[in-house]
Amino acid sequence: MKKKTHFKWDKQSISTVLYPVLFGILLLILWQTQLLHKMIGADTFALPLPGRILRIIADNKSTVMKNVNATVIVAIGGLICGSLLGYLLGIIATIFPKWGVGGLSIASAISAVPIIAIAPILNNLTKDFSNDASTRSMLAKTIVVTITCTVSMSINAYRGLNELKPFSLDLMKSFAASKVTTFIKLRIPNSVPYIFTALRVSVPASIISALVSEYFAEFIIGVGRQIRENIVLAQYATAWAYIVVACAIGIMMYGILLVAEGILLKGRK
Amino acid sequence: MANLEIIEDEFKERDASLPRETEIKIENLCVTFPDKNGGEPIIALSNVNLEIKQGEFISLLGPSGCGKTTLLRTIANLQDQTSGDILVRGLSPREIRLQKKYGIVFQSPVLYEWRTVRRNVCMPMELLGMPKKDRTARVTKMLELVGLMEFGEKYPHELSGGMQQRVNIARALAIRPEILLMDEPFSALDEFTKEKLHEDLLKIWKKTNKTILFVTHNIQEAVYLSDRVVVLSPHPGRVSAVVDINLERPRPIAIKESQEFNALVSKVRNSFEGV
Repeated sequence: MKKKTHFKWDKQSISTVLYPVLFGILLLILWQTQLLHKMIGADTFALPLPGRILRIIADNKSTVMKNVNATVIVAIGGLICGSLLGYLLGIIATIFPKWGVGGLSIASAISAVPIIAIAPILNNLTKDFSNDASTRSMLAKTIVVTITCTVSMSINAYRGLNELKPFSLDLMKSFAASKVTTFIKLRIPNSVPYIFTALRVSVPASIISALVSEYFAEFIIGVGRQIRENIVLAQYATAWAYIVVACAIGIMMYGILLVAEGILLKGRK
Repeated sequence: MANLEIIEDEFKERDASLPRETEIKIENLCVTFPDKNGGEPIIALSNVNLEIKQGEFISLLGPSGCGKTTLLRTIANLQDQTSGDILVRGLSPREIRLQKKYGIVFQSPVLYEWRTVRRNVCMPMELLGMPKKDRTARVTKMLELVGLMEFGEKYPHELSGGMQQRVNIARALAIRPEILLMDEPFSALDEFTKEKLHEDLLKIWKKTNKTILFVTHNIQEAVYLSDRVVVLSPHPGRVSAVVDINLERPRPIAIKESQEFNALVSKVRNSFEGV
C-alpha cells in the first residue's frame, strides 16, 4: 500500500517537475546554439545568449544584489503588511457580517484598479513623508504591494473563517465555548489553508507589483527599474540579466511558500 | 472491541430496586420556524409531551421533516423553543449546556482535520480547562474505550467513516456528560460497521449508565437499541406514539430475527400517522 502511493507520487513528480525542466533545458540549448534566433528571427543583440547573460550577473554580483535587496524588501514588506491587513479585514468582516460582506465587495472592486494607475499617484502622495528620496520611494512602492496583497487575503481569510464544516459551530456551542474561544480553536485554524490559497496568488503578485512600482519610483533602484533603465540605454544583455534575476526571485519565494505550506498543512486533506 | 474495564471509575451500574429519577421533562413543547418568504410560520414541533428517566435509552424515530432532530436540538439548547417547557434535572436546557452536561454526537463526525485523533478527543477538555496531565490520561482511556488506541496520532482523513464516528463518540464522552444526545450517528455507515457500533454503544451505555437520546429514521435500529421508542409524525411534527421495548438485555444480534423483535418493529411501523 505504502509502496503504491510512493510510486504514484513519483509518477506525478515526473509530470510536474521533470517535464518542465526538460523543456527548459531544450529551450536553453536552442537559445545558446542560436537555433532559437533563427526560428523567431531575432539577433544576439536584442536576445543575448544565455552564457553572456549569466556572465553579466556574475561580473556585477554586488550591484545585482543591491537591486535584488531593494526589490525583495519591498515585495516581502508589502506582502506581510498586506496579508496582515487583509486577515484583519477578514476577522472584522466575520465579527460584523452585515457590514463585512459589503466591505469585502468594495475590497474586490479595489483589486480591479491596475497597480500601474496607482503607482504614480502614490509617489506623489508620499512625497512629504521623508526628505530622503530613497526612503519615500520605498514607502510608495511598499504601499503599492500592500494594496495588491490585502484584497486576496481579506477575501480568502473571510472564507476560511466562515466556511466551517456543518455542525462545527453547534459542537462549539455544546461545549459552552465563548465566541473568542470559537475563534481561536475553530475559525482561525480552519482558515490556515485559505491563507495559503491567498499567498499562492499574492506572493507572485507582490513581486510583479514591486517590479512595476519601481518603474515609477523617484529613486532609481530595484530589479524592475534596472530592466527599464537598461532597455532605455539599449543595453539588452544587462536588461536580460535583471529579467533572469527577477524570475529567480519569483521562483525562490514561491518555492519557500510551497515548503511552508507542506509543513503547516501536514495532515490535512 | 469496546474495552470496558478501563472506565471502571465511572461504572455506576444501577441498583434495579431503586426507582429511576426523571431526567428530562418536556411539556407542551412547540417549535416554529418563520417562513423565509414571509408566509405562515412552519410548525416543526407541536405540543410535545415526554418524560425521560435517568439512564434510559430513548430513540426518537420518524421520517424526515417530523421534527426529531429539532426536538434533540431544542433539548440540547442549540435551538430555541417557541412555547412550552423543558426541564432537564430541574434546570433549563441552557443551564445544563453551560454546565457541560451534554455530550453530542452529530450525524457527521465534525472532527477537526488539523488535529490528530488524540487532540480531537482532547478538545472539549481543553475548553474545560482541565490540567494537561489529566487530559492525556483521559484521552488514552477514551481511545481504549472505543478501541482506537493505535490510531491516536493519525489525522481524521486517514480513518474510515466508522473509526471517525468512534472518535466522535470518544470526544462526546470525554468530559463525562450525564446525557448523551446522538443525531443519526450511524446513518452514513455500512451495515456491518453499524452493527458493531450498536453493540459497542450498548455496552458503553450499560456500564456508564448515561441517559441516551438517539435520533434515527431506521425502525430496526431504534427497536434494537432502545428502552422506549418515541415515534414522531410529520406535518406538523408531533409525537404519535411511545412504544415500550421490553426485549431482554443484553440483546444478541440474533434477536433481530426473533418473532418478538419483528412484532415490535410492526407495532412501531403501524404507529406512524399521515406518512
